[in-house]
Amino acid sequence: MSKYEVRALPLYTKEHTWMKATGAGIVRIGITDYAQKMLKTVNYADLPSEGDEVVYMESCAELESSKAVSPVYCPVSGRVVNVNEEVMDEPELINKAPYDAGWLMDIEPSAFEEEKGKLFTAEEYNTFLTTL
Amino acid sequence: MKHLVYYISEQMNPWKNLAVEEAFLHWVPQDTVVLYLWQNRRTVVIGRNQNCWAECNVSRLEHDGGYLARRLSGGGSVYHDEQNLNFTFLANHSDYDISGQTDVITRAVRMFGLEPEKTGRNDITISDRKFSGNAYYKKDGKCFHHGTLLIHTDMDAMKRYLNVSGEKLRGKGVPSVKARVLNLQDICKEITVKTMKQALLLAASEVYEATPQKIGLEIFEREYLADLEEKNSSWEWRYGRKIPFSWEREKRFEWGNIQMRLYVDQGIIRQAVIYSDALDAEFISKVELSMAGLRFEEQKLENVINLETSEEQKKMLADIDSMIMEGA
Repeated sequence: MSKYEVRALPLYTKEHTWMKATGAGIVRIGITDYAQKMLKTVNYADLPSEGDEVVYMESCAELESSKAVSPVYCPVSGRVVNVNEEVMDEPELINKAPYDAGWLMDIEPSAFEEEKGKLFTAEEYNTFLTTL
Repeated sequence: MKHLVYYISEQMNPWKNLAVEEAFLHWVPQDTVVLYLWQNRRTVVIGRNQNCWAECNVSRLEHDGGYLARRLSGGGSVYHDEQNLNFTFLANHSDYDISGQTDVITRAVRMFGLEPEKTGRNDITISDRKFSGNAYYKKDGKCFHHGTLLIHTDMDAMKRYLNVSGEKLRGKGVPSVKARVLNLQDICKEITVKTMKQALLLAASEVYEATPQKIGLEIFEREYLADLEEKNSSWEWRYGRKIPFSWEREKRFEWGNIQMRLYVDQGIIRQAVIYSDALDAEFISKVELSMAGLRFEEQKLENVINLETSEEQKKMLADIDSMIMEGA
């Protein structure tokens, strides 16, 4: 088994972000356990504002860690409807719980069906991790 | 490495120097490492996600004719003067190697008979005293690793600008980590900015097994550099980043006591709350209202209060201004 946690439900990108539907046409996104381990301690989360447009596989946020400032590549295009204020106050939540309390933002997707097909399933992402 | 190229800056304006750094980042081709050496005159450089007012005594720095600059990379605040030498390694991701780059720095320092150590916190030290702080940045497959080298920097000036006290400032933003610092010249007289530049080039040629080739700024469009410089000097980039905070201070004047709290975001006062025992309470509440929307530490209250003011009220405005600007 991989030493990085990969959960069954979300879909993943090769840039180590995840996305899952949370109901009512909204998806939640965050970074994976692999990503948070590579970044090491996150010191600052620069998140977009509600209402901002985000684009599939373009940077939608930046995370500053002890290693570097790194972009977060968005798994879907759409409009930001909610950002996780708690990770702005306590960025280490991203390290402690990347799939739960350390989520980054909720997005109302604009091309969900088309983009969903390009993402990895958990199994595919796990396989991808073994190639790194 | 096939190509090692270098450029040594000929001027000391931080906004220009950081513009050149960013231009090299976009330019650097495959199989190439750029080594860029530069110095700044009386400058505080803050990290990408720092609150400048929490890290630097901005009004004092600007009063003294110094520069405040924000860099692309993360991390804490540093003070630069002519006796601090900055280095930047720039390369594509596949040519980028932090340990090799750090090796260039430690090797150069060892040429003077010293024994530097790398710490976990991106610092290079001798006897636990830091003489070099390092930070990293990557964008679109291009990376840089830059850092400071304290040669003979004015430590009193460093403290003067980097020690912030006397006010309660609470908010988001990356805090700086204080460290005991060391000027290399204090432990080795042979180290000057000039000899260190030579040592770095020699060390780089050894590490990369290549002869350093000098490169000039003519590879860049003049206008492109000017645009980057303008961004670096802009109010929006230096002060106006989305890093909200609240600021609090209390002070006694002849006309009364003032307790003020300001909520600031993107460098702009969003709300002011003032408690005062001044007799002219109506005027105080007008001041409170007119402060919203002003730039923090740039407000000249007398110019924005939209009403006839008495001499006494003018004095109150000047006092409140000075209370916010204090430190200069």
